[in-house]
Amino acid sequence: MTANLFLPVSVIGYVVAIFTATLRTVYRAEGARRATSVLLIVTWLAHCGAVVQQGLRIGRVPLTTGAEYLLVLGWVVLSLHLFLWFRANVEVSGLVLPPLAGVLCFAAMQLLGVHPARPDAPADGWFLLHTTISTIGMATLCVAFAMSVLYLIQDRALKAKRTLALLGRLPSLGRADQLGHRALVVGFVLLTIGILAGVIVTAEDAERPIEVGAKQILPVLAWIVFAIVLGARALLGFRGRKSAYLTIAGFVLGLATVVGMTL
Amino acid sequence: MLILVGSNHRSAPIEVRERMSFPIERLPEALTRLRAIDGVAEGMILSTCNRVEVLAWVVIEPASGIDSIQRFLAEVHRLSLPEIDRYTYQLVGTDAARHLFAVACGLDSMILGEPQILGQVKQAYRAAAEQGTLGPTLDRLLQTCLQTAKRVRTETGIARHAVSVAFAAVELGRQIFGELAGREALVLGAGKMGDLVARHLAAHGVRSVAFASRTYTNAVLHAERVGGRAVPWEEGVAKVGQVDVVVSCTGAAHQVLSKADVVRAMRGRKRGPLLLIDIAVPRDIDPRVNEIDDVYLYDIDGLQNLVASNLEERRNAAEEAKRLVVREVQAFERWRLSQEITPVIVALREGLLALGQHEIERFRGRFGEIDAKQLQVVEELTRAVIQKILHRPLRHLHGAVERGDVAECTALYRQIFALSETAASDRASGAPPDEAAPPGPNRVIRGGRDGS
Repeated sequence: MTANLFLPVSVIGYVVAIFTATLRTVYRAEGARRATSVLLIVTWLAHCGAVVQQGLRIGRVPLTTGAEYLLVLGWVVLSLHLFLWFRANVEVSGLVLPPLAGVLCFAAMQLLGVHPARPDAPADGWFLLHTTISTIGMATLCVAFAMSVLYLIQDRALKAKRTLALLGRLPSLGRADQLGHRALVVGFVLLTIGILAGVIVTAEDAERPIEVGAKQILPVLAWIVFAIVLGARALLGFRGRKSAYLTIAGFVLGLATVVGMTL
Repeated sequence: MLILVGSNHRSAPIEVRERMSFPIERLPEALTRLRAIDGVAEGMILSTCNRVEVLAWVVIEPASGIDSIQRFLAEVHRLSLPEIDRYTYQLVGTDAARHLFAVACGLDSMILGEPQILGQVKQAYRAAAEQGTLGPTLDRLLQTCLQTAKRVRTETGIARHAVSVAFAAVELGRQIFGELAGREALVLGAGKMGDLVARHLAAHGVRSVAFASRTYTNAVLHAERVGGRAVPWEEGVAKVGQVDVVVSCTGAAHQVLSKADVVRAMRGRKRGPLLLIDIAVPRDIDPRVNEIDDVYLYDIDGLQNLVASNLEERRNAAEEAKRLVVREVQAFERWRLSQEITPVIVALREGLLALGQHEIERFRGRFGEIDAKQLQVVEELTRAVIQKILHRPLRHLHGAVERGDVAECTALYRQIFALSETAASDRASGAPPDEAAPPGPNRVIRGGRDGS
């Protein structure tokens, strides 16, 4: 088996980029901003290379095992961060999303050798839709999570009357809320489609007994939490700190599903 | 030589600054008069509410240039020379350039880093350019200065945050809502500070400002002054949950908004967070209101702490800005010195080439029969020899900028090669060098309470 050389390069890229992003946030150094942007683009390319190499190795979209899922999820999370940074000018999400993507990439690197590829896994149809949509949906929910975390940090800083220099490093509450809400709406729709596609995949496989375990229950619980957040917002104007906490809770449930999948 | 004669909020009281200012309509005439002064090659006048500064490039002794400009100021403003001398500072050479850069960057302003001064320097530059009183040196100086000021504003934190209580309130609003456009504000009470905050909020896009005062006529008065609308006191208090920003500045001896009031106001609210600014002493709003979810309460101390930390940040940024200014002034000074050696280089090269041509003509009869092509070869040979001979002296001359001995070096070259000063100056695009001036930066301070 050929080693995926892109993976260690990606992990090193994440570590250095997170370091420069922290320098940028703390000292507002312009050089650190430029360095972070270059490093993250290089890391994105390396991570992309790792995904492609894994796909070539197994001869299909690399979403057949938990390790591959982590690999692709990390890459989509980083892609969304770069999109947020360069299109929506939200640089500070660099403190949450790249570390998350880096952890996912590192976990994938550790697990790829342990988890053998599943050549028997369905290669197309509902399974592919289920895995692809769920991955993109989970990555979008990572953005909602990041915005909720930043919202809570900003909220705490405002309540504690921190200096404007510190507050200015974070997105405004309004911006974090708006971006988080958008990400949550998109993530919720994708999660819904992903769950429905998963139900169809299970139903199609007549020989396989219907399982009801954490892997099935946790995403439904996460879906319920997100539905409550969105419904309460639409009907009752529910937003702010409580909404941020609930979004984080929903994300943790989703993440628990991912972790459960890889164990 | 660059000279600057000026008066600012530190060197002169407001009565003198008022008399010394140049109204915009009188500026063209004043610039023409300035340029007409003997020895003044280029000039610009910066006149703002806090300073009047005359910047000139003179081709005479700096001290004479300063005297002439002081006389000019005395005549224009009908002040005595001793008065002018007492209330102005005079800077020469690099010090003048550094001062100009510091002014444009807001480093010399009453409020450190204030942004208006950059626009005023630009305006003064435009006025001088339109009046034709700028030449290559001041034009280059001012362009470099404006670019540096822009860099200072974008690369340092000198103008990043508010340094007034009213503007700090606006910044807080931005930190909470992102944009203030379309938001609604309510002012409780009839304090002047409330008006000021309301004005700032309105200027930053707040859609409507309602004023509520226990005396309704006061609310009407303030609403008319600021451009909002007046509401009765009870209606105003009831509106707290329906607006985004509440500014409270009543003179009441007791609290006008309790925690229970705000909890009630937030119930069923769909607008998102609520910012409460309490600038009254004694405070109008129960401090425990800050404990309520999505409610942010700032009192006068909180706002002043923000302003103080911002000022501290500006002071730190000012140090960084000063370093940037020093670098840019040095770069300008190198350019200016290189302009001083250019006429010498031109004169030296042209003189030797003319000499070579002359010698070719003189010896041409002795060559015998030579055709045009052979003559061309002889000319090229002569030019090549001259270029080779000039190589080291010219490199030494260029090195004078870095060594800081441009004046001595150019004088020596003129003497050795018997170069004509006027011929060189005529050919040079820059201003003529001031041979008599002492080398390096110079500074003359006479009068003025503070010449820094």
